[in-house]
Amino acid sequence: MLNMRGGLAAIAVLCASVSAAAQSTDPLAVGRKMLAEDNPGELWIERGKRLFHERRGPRNASLEQCDLGLGPGKLEGAAARLPRYFPDTDQVQDLESRLVTCMVGLQGFKREDIVRTAISPGGSNGSDVEALALYITSRSNGMEMKVALSHQKEYDMYKAGEYLFYRRSGQTDFACVQCHGESDKRIRLQDLVNMTDRKQIQEVVSTWPAYRGAHFVVRTMQWRLFDCFWQMRLPELKYLSDTSIALTTYLHYQGNGAVIRVPGFKR
Amino acid sequence: MRNAWLKWTMLGVPALIAAGCATYPDPGATREIAEKMVGGDFTAPAPALLKRLEQDKSQRICSKIGDAKLTQAEAAEVVALARASIQYPPSGKLAGDWKIGSRLAHDGAGDRIQFGRLEKRKENGGLCQNCHALAPGEVNVGNVGPSLTGYGAQRGNSEAIARLTYEKIYNAWVYFPCSNMPRLGANHHLTPEQITHLVAFLIDPQSPINAR
Repeated sequence: MLNMRGGLAAIAVLCASVSAAAQSTDPLAVGRKMLAEDNPGELWIERGKRLFHERRGPRNASLEQCDLGLGPGKLEGAAARLPRYFPDTDQVQDLESRLVTCMVGLQGFKREDIVRTAISPGGSNGSDVEALALYITSRSNGMEMKVALSHQKEYDMYKAGEYLFYRRSGQTDFACVQCHGESDKRIRLQDLVNMTDRKQIQEVVSTWPAYRGAHFVVRTMQWRLFDCFWQMRLPELKYLSDTSIALTTYLHYQGNGAVIRVPGFKR
Repeated sequence: MRNAWLKWTMLGVPALIAAGCATYPDPGATREIAEKMVGGDFTAPAPALLKRLEQDKSQRICSKIGDAKLTQAEAAEVVALARASIQYPPSGKLAGDWKIGSRLAHDGAGDRIQFGRLEKRKENGGLCQNCHALAPGEVNVGNVGPSLTGYGAQRGNSEAIARLTYEKIYNAWVYFPCSNMPRLGANHHLTPEQITHLVAFLIDPQSPINAR
């Protein structure tokens, strides 16, 4: 009897919570909430951790000496400060380009081999870079995004990113801002993030890499930008290109203060 | 003492200048830096496709940063260029077959480039559904552009409305300089004939867009 009463109470609570979610203004909120609570991307973190510490590549070395900006092997908070200028490469680098610098320099992998496989096919087991990027970013979970502009090349990257965000070209006449310049907009049923609104920028920059439901793999910011240019009918954005790093610098700097919590979950 | 002061000055001033002078590049320098990136950061299966990245005059004018506004002269120039771009179908008939138009309006594919290949189909989709509400009750539609539900029911299907509608689709910047809408005809995403079918889809009384 008690059990039955408990069961009924549980059902009542369940129904109440479901109907509360259903009553919110966004009809898709229920599905999103259910998905976010059970994120398969978590599995990629363990894999990334193993790949980071394992001796791999032609030099049979781990990535434990990789300097992501805070010193060799220091991962806590490193992703929160990227992109940034690195004196050894004399470049502003984002997480993925710095990671590739380490995989080439420490482990002896060929850059072109990594670049070719970095973005994995949908439905696959994902790439090493995707898993590593997620693991490294997860070590900044709970920390605030804190990108600084101090070196001249960082200022240059930021401004180039802003310029590119508004640069229209191609047969659709699109720049980023045509789809990401207003709130509450959709392409068909897909919500578009307003990247001129600080709160919405923060939501984006703190949730990549993310598990992409439709692809069954973890995707990174490099992929996100690459995919936008595809839909815009423009030529293919090169992996780790300055254009991608400029846009990421522009967005990440504006997202400062956001608390990182990866993996995000995207449709 | 004096020597020490000199030494610090010699070492310190250049360092301070180097650190203190880092700042935002001016618009000209920014453009140069960013355009150089665009020139080297993309690949395409054919060199001609890289030309898609080059901006025409209107696109340059319409790439205002942040809240910067078009000047009246700039808007007039965009309108004039748009007006000059419009070509009409050889038949002269501006309203085609709404059924073909309906299919095109719901087709968002064609001419994308990925993994070294150009998405080549018999014809490009019209992309309308991505941004515009179409027939009443149709759910899977975007809202970046204004609703087109009841477009013809509100405006009628006169020759003047057909012409206005054709021109808006061919090059929206004739009427709305620098609007978000792609210049679908002027950019050769759609052919004049395809546009006549979209015109019919919008204004034909039989089209589902105008269903009551």
